[in-house]
Amino acid sequence: MSELILEDVDRDEALTEAIDGLCGSTRASFLRGAALGGAAMLTALSTPSEATAAITDVDILNFGLRFERLQATFYTQAHETGTIAKMAAAKKDWAETLGAHERAHVRIIKSVLGSKANARPFFNFGDATETDAAFTKTAVAMEDLTVALLTGVTPRVKNRKLTAALFGLLTVEARHAAWARHIIGSTPAPTAFDRSRTLDSVQGTIARTRFIVTKPRTSGTTAPGFTG
Amino acid sequence: MRRLARRRPRASGTLVMLVAGLVVVASAVSGRSPSSETTAATGRRLREPLTPAFTVGRPARLSGTRFTAKWAPVRRPAAARAAPSSGARVVATLATRTPEDTRNVVAVIGHRQDGSGAAWVEVRLAALPNGSTGWVRRTALGGYGTVDTRLVVDLERLRATLYRDGRPLMTVAVGAGAPGWPTPRGEFYIRDKLTRYRSATYGPIAFGTSARSTRATDWPAGGYVGIHGTDRPDLLPGRVSHGCLRIRNSDIVAMAPHLSVGTPITIR
Repeated sequence: MSELILEDVDRDEALTEAIDGLCGSTRASFLRGAALGGAAMLTALSTPSEATAAITDVDILNFGLRFERLQATFYTQAHETGTIAKMAAAKKDWAETLGAHERAHVRIIKSVLGSKANARPFFNFGDATETDAAFTKTAVAMEDLTVALLTGVTPRVKNRKLTAALFGLLTVEARHAAWARHIIGSTPAPTAFDRSRTLDSVQGTIARTRFIVTKPRTSGTTAPGFTG
Repeated sequence: MRRLARRRPRASGTLVMLVAGLVVVASAVSGRSPSSETTAATGRRLREPLTPAFTVGRPARLSGTRFTAKWAPVRRPAAARAAPSSGARVVATLATRTPEDTRNVVAVIGHRQDGSGAAWVEVRLAALPNGSTGWVRRTALGGYGTVDTRLVVDLERLRATLYRDGRPLMTVAVGAGAPGWPTPRGEFYIRDKLTRYRSATYGPIAFGTSARSTRATDWPAGGYVGIHGTDRPDLLPGRVSHGCLRIRNSDIVAMAPHLSVGTPITIR
């Protein structure tokens, strides 16, 4: 079994760029090769850096929105391609529940940000939403990734009421991650402290998958050559 | 009774020490002095938890009646096959660019895995005969886009109705193919959107579709049917074109923000 690293799922480095904005380029470069949800990533994300001085709560919320959108779109596409519908009842319930939660998270964060919400990225999950096996592996990795990132950014929020709200999201994401591990037959809580958590139980990787990509250019200024 | 009476002072003393310990621990954690805290033991209440800045609304599962359609860009030239198998007959070749030099996109209508577990996607083809579909490997396509719009064109009434989420948004008069130049009927989709070109004939905005004229096959750009404005609004509604769907300029400008690439088109 191999560990899933950020570089595997972030082929266009969109996620690394987001971390760069919050934690500084040196740390982002370091994280590129760190195991998702692993000790190195958690420690690096949790330790304040000079680059965080200028980070605002809006930046952090937009950071959270980006990841919630990533997850929400992932589950929605798996639903629309029929992948979830083919699952056994318990697994289907898991996937549909997590999808509903992530979409609710997107709605509330977007609502809180209002006009300050960043534009929705364009996603390409490749095969990951097309087959049960690829979907499951990716879901486990993404839930662990989200827990790691929220663990890192939540203590940096200046507004205490916002911190309280983000803890509400963090604990739910941790439940998702535990549920995902249960679904794949792994221990939901493998350690007593998350710093030493690893993704040993995650089978395979999502190598070569591009998650956040440039939106294709489908408009132009060429004079039409249609039949008229 | 005597034993209990003797034990009571000790038990209450233990309780007092326990509460005092908790207060010390709580104050250490919060960084405040014990006197600033409140406890049940002293008759005062513990501080209320912080009210979160937001709470999350009720999560909703996706229903089976969503009016969404999917499309995807073509990432690399690929063979579209008659079945989801690399051994199946090739029915068309997908290019990455359209004749208008925009990214070529396909409407996604099905998903399947082959015997080896590879993912295949069934797509509508912008090819003759109209209505053709084919299977391509998932890896040949980019990320999915979704739309909740649909355009229905009635060639008898010469009207086009744009629906959003299953509800009619607007209905406009159209000019369709003249006798001898029929507008093809069937299921198609919007391929691209063109603006800021210089051609009064096509009005201010033109949309490329996957429909192709069965007569204008030697047309320089391939004989694709467009949906566009016009410099002859006086002819609408009418059967006046070489197969394209003409719409008054004011109508196409009003419709354009809602007519996204990937929108399914039914021409009947």
